[in-house]
Amino acid sequence: MSDEQAANGKPADPMEAFRDMRDNYLDAWAKAMVQTVNTDAYARTSGTVLDTYLSASSPFREAVEKAMLRVLEQLSMPSRADFVALADRVTNIEMHLDDMDAKLDRIEKLLTKPATAASSRNPRSTEPSRQKKQKAKGAK
Amino acid sequence: MPEAAVLTDPFTDMVGKLTTFNKALTTKTPIAQTPKELVWALNKAKLYRYIPVVPKEKRHPVPLLLVFALMSRPSILDLRPGHSFVEYMVNSGYDLYLLDWGVPGPEDKNLKFDDYCLDYLPRAIRKMKAVSGVEEFSMLGWCIGAILSTIYSCLRPDDGLRNLILLTAPLDFSNKENITFARWTDERYFDIDKLLAAFGNMPGEMIDYGARALKPVENYIVNYLKLWDNIENPQVIEAWQAMNTWVTDNIPMTGGTFRQLIVDLYRNDRLMRGEMMIRGERVDLSRLRANLLTVIAEGDHITPPCQSKAILSKVGSKDKELFSVPGGHIGIMAGSGANKRTWPKIDSWLAGRSK
Repeated sequence: MSDEQAANGKPADPMEAFRDMRDNYLDAWAKAMVQTVNTDAYARTSGTVLDTYLSASSPFREAVEKAMLRVLEQLSMPSRADFVALADRVTNIEMHLDDMDAKLDRIEKLLTKPATAASSRNPRSTEPSRQKKQKAKGAK
Repeated sequence: MPEAAVLTDPFTDMVGKLTTFNKALTTKTPIAQTPKELVWALNKAKLYRYIPVVPKEKRHPVPLLLVFALMSRPSILDLRPGHSFVEYMVNSGYDLYLLDWGVPGPEDKNLKFDDYCLDYLPRAIRKMKAVSGVEEFSMLGWCIGAILSTIYSCLRPDDGLRNLILLTAPLDFSNKENITFARWTDERYFDIDKLLAAFGNMPGEMIDYGARALKPVENYIVNYLKLWDNIENPQVIEAWQAMNTWVTDNIPMTGGTFRQLIVDLYRNDRLMRGEMMIRGERVDLSRLRANLLTVIAEGDHITPPCQSKAILSKVGSKDKELFSVPGGHIGIMAGSGANKRTWPKIDSWLAGRSK
């Protein structure tokens, strides 16, 4: 047990030297790999691998898609395209609802602000003043 | 028998370590636990407001909107109690909102930056203003979220954006030698049309592979060795597990956006060159007038620092600052030193500009 370890009260770890060696090796390897992946050769290789995979899998993918479409038709079930079209329509409705929400917010703001201002100036008056009308027009 | 116990002890110890290791690898831990309420939703996008813990009179009046990347969950901003940027900012008195883009499906494959910046973001911001009752706001965009925030800020400079914080923002693609992704997605090697024709959206697993392959030894070996070396330290295991839960939860990127990212940005650097068109409008960086803080991670391999610096000389902001932090792309916000360096800096910069 070294003095330092004795002072810390920790037992000596026989694996520590191995771990240090391992970490040094991994550090060097990591740096080399970072440089390797940032090369044209790596980019070209990974691009070719991806391209080959896409080309090889394309006929199977298309066959499965066509077969699935036929099965769904036979079963009178909606296809992916039907769901996509439906999702488009729902999102469109959501956007219209959001537009209406925005308009309602604006109207509410126009209605509440002048009323608050009027009640603070003349609590009895309920008629909008010229200034308030102009403000409302400006906001529109 | 004492002899037998001595013989079996190392095995028992090893079994215990392996069990803990397997559990850490295969178990998802609860993340994103700061209480929040849903205030708006459109398609898959959701806007959340975090429940304030500071009394209204002590809160900063200007709300802050967090905009995260499209291909990862925003839960990294709220990783675990006691180590969460969201929790930190809520405790610091911010009226905090999070825009979660959700998981795009095949029906969203045509969504582009145009849709995110001009349909989703403005609507979410309108709702945030309505809920908070304030016309001005701050926005924090991280990674692709920073691209979206920048485009929005340039196209809608009069929408009330007072402060913009860009974290590890990939905006400048001119230095192709230093950007590994730019090399990989070069048109000579990478057929984006073929890829998107096959998948529609860019699969999350492929994006994850790309991010990990930038530092293969660290991500595929060292990461797990670190866990093994600290297998008897529950705090390290908890932190590792939370990060692993987030890292392994990948989501796809819509085909339209991915195509723009590769063609307009990685290949042609259109944003910095002032040539990027969003629904017929040119994105002019000089129109960005909000106070700007750009945070750079010095050891970032996903967005190298060279990608985030040039914006400062292009924007019209008078108040702008560059903050450089040691660490990686995710580490600067979710690493063990984030609560000592990055978060306090963001808080102090924003606090003075949120009065």
